[in-house]
Amino acid sequence: MTSEPTVRLESVRRVYHAGGPDEVRALDGVSLTIAPGEYLSVEGPSGSGKTTLLNLLGLLDVPTEGRMLWRGTPVERLGERDRTRLRRTGIGFIFQRFYLLPTLTALENVALPLLAGGLPARERETRARMLLAQVGLADRERSFPHQLSGGEEQRVAIARALANGPQLLLADEPTGELDSTRAGQVLDLLEAAHRDTGAAVVVVTHNPTVASRADRHLVMRDGRVVSDTAGR
Amino acid sequence: MHWRNLRHRTAQTILAIAAIAVAVALPVVLLSVGGGVYSHELASVQDAGFSISVDSAADHGIADAHSLARQIDAISGVAAASPILSVAVVLFTANGTGIPVLAEGVIPTAFSATQSSAERALLPPSFTLGDPDDTIHFANGTYGGPASGQVLLSTPLLQTLNLSSGASATLSPTTNRSAGVGVTVVGSFGLPPGLLGPSALFVALMPLSQLQSLVGLGRSTTGALLDDADSVQVAVVPALAGNPAAVARITAEVQALVPYYSVTSLTQQTSEIRAAQAVITGFYVGLSSVGLVVSLLFLVIILMRRVEQERSAIGIQRAIGVPAWRVSRGLLLEAEALTLCGGLSGVAGGILVISLLARWGSPTVSEIAGLATYDPVTLAGLVLGLLLMGLVASLLPVRRALNLPLPEVLR
Repeated sequence: MTSEPTVRLESVRRVYHAGGPDEVRALDGVSLTIAPGEYLSVEGPSGSGKTTLLNLLGLLDVPTEGRMLWRGTPVERLGERDRTRLRRTGIGFIFQRFYLLPTLTALENVALPLLAGGLPARERETRARMLLAQVGLADRERSFPHQLSGGEEQRVAIARALANGPQLLLADEPTGELDSTRAGQVLDLLEAAHRDTGAAVVVVTHNPTVASRADRHLVMRDGRVVSDTAGR
Repeated sequence: MHWRNLRHRTAQTILAIAAIAVAVALPVVLLSVGGGVYSHELASVQDAGFSISVDSAADHGIADAHSLARQIDAISGVAAASPILSVAVVLFTANGTGIPVLAEGVIPTAFSATQSSAERALLPPSFTLGDPDDTIHFANGTYGGPASGQVLLSTPLLQTLNLSSGASATLSPTTNRSAGVGVTVVGSFGLPPGLLGPSALFVALMPLSQLQSLVGLGRSTTGALLDDADSVQVAVVPALAGNPAAVARITAEVQALVPYYSVTSLTQQTSEIRAAQAVITGFYVGLSSVGLVVSLLFLVIILMRRVEQERSAIGIQRAIGVPAWRVSRGLLLEAEALTLCGGLSGVAGGILVISLLARWGSPTVSEIAGLATYDPVTLAGLVLGLLLMGLVASLLPVRRALNLPLPEVLR
């Protein structure tokens, strides 16, 4: 584990429709440091800026103002191509709606980031198979998303997020569409991934049970971090 | 993956392929049939037994035809010069009523020498009409020699009149039988196939001077020599027939003889046919382009719709780091697969339509469709053009896909 923060935000603002009558300050001066191996939950009411924060952390968006460092590299200096490469090599995404590609099998969905990374076909398949086995879906590798339950889809999404050995795992309401039993399984998997890979994990949630699994808890309101506490 | 995407949206895929196929089938039909018709025309000109044609603007406007033929014959390199006169007359059988026929007055030996080998094969082996060089009756322009009175009838005419060789008949310039002359049917000849069948089914071949006398084109009422014909076909010796320079030289010499007539070589006619073909092909291509452009726009709409429907799938690929070029390639391959399938279906469909027209169309349509030729270069060019079109059609959707706002798409 290196001492360099995985991500560091310094007075970051994200403003939509800046200067217009419908200007929205989604993030308003957020400063935050995420160390390698941290497990954070981000809570807050709708519109508090949780998803915007997640998009910035995932390099899907860029700050309007302030400074953001990804493992020491200023993000504002990166072009789209570099941010794409960093997403591919350093970040895993888990979404509430899973976002599996409907025309790909479970195995192919997991292998997709590896394909983008240029790994040879045989290695891709072996690694994807191993990841599916890790999430308990070794027997469903040929299944298409529509043939899987919601819990299974989210487990495939977790396997896909882990495919390239990310340093940061971002989960946006990962159990939002699951019943409590399956939600528990998914959270167990997420915890295991955190433990096994040493990746920092950021989970955005409304659910206190999900948040309780984290070691550090952020609470956001009106685009600001109003609380940052440690402990389970 | 891309094939699965195409299968995933079956209705759109089928619609896009169908639209492209219809747009492609049109040029396939037009270019293949048009090309076939022109090739046929070109072949018939190139296969003609003569190389040069002397024509006049007026009907029966070639005067002193026998004399002119002899002068042309004397030009170095000329094999034969055949004056031809075509006049509508009425043929009366011994007991029947009159039937209109096209009488062709020819000098038998010259006529035979200026026909293609295929046309010559349609004539009887001994084609003399009793006056092989048309000198006996012509008698140096006096028209005082004995007339052989022999005629050769086209096979359809012979069969319609139920005549046989040796039968007597009367040929008259009018419907008045008494104004005619008695002739003897000495045989029949087949009709060469034209583009849409022979131009006339009922034809009678007879010595030129005898037809001239019959219709008053030998000498005028005042006794002046007319010796009129419609055209003179000139064959060059076989050794020079394929030599454009030699044909041009002979054409120029003939033209010098008769500066007031139109003298054209078949080489010129070939060039004119080729020029006409280029113009009409350009027209077909222009017409087809309209269909292809419409199908291109349709393809763009289909692909744009796909991008909208697959926003999440595209967005997640971009989010997990799939490079832009790989996302672009996916759309491009889909576009190319659609255009290729549509193009091949269109080519196959066009060929099928032509085959159906050739088999089941009306006689005229069937004959035209039967002439269709399939130029592999044209068809391959069409498919390659389509692939280029697919590339162009994918540009806008690719741009749209790459500019999808990820935070919004993945919300």
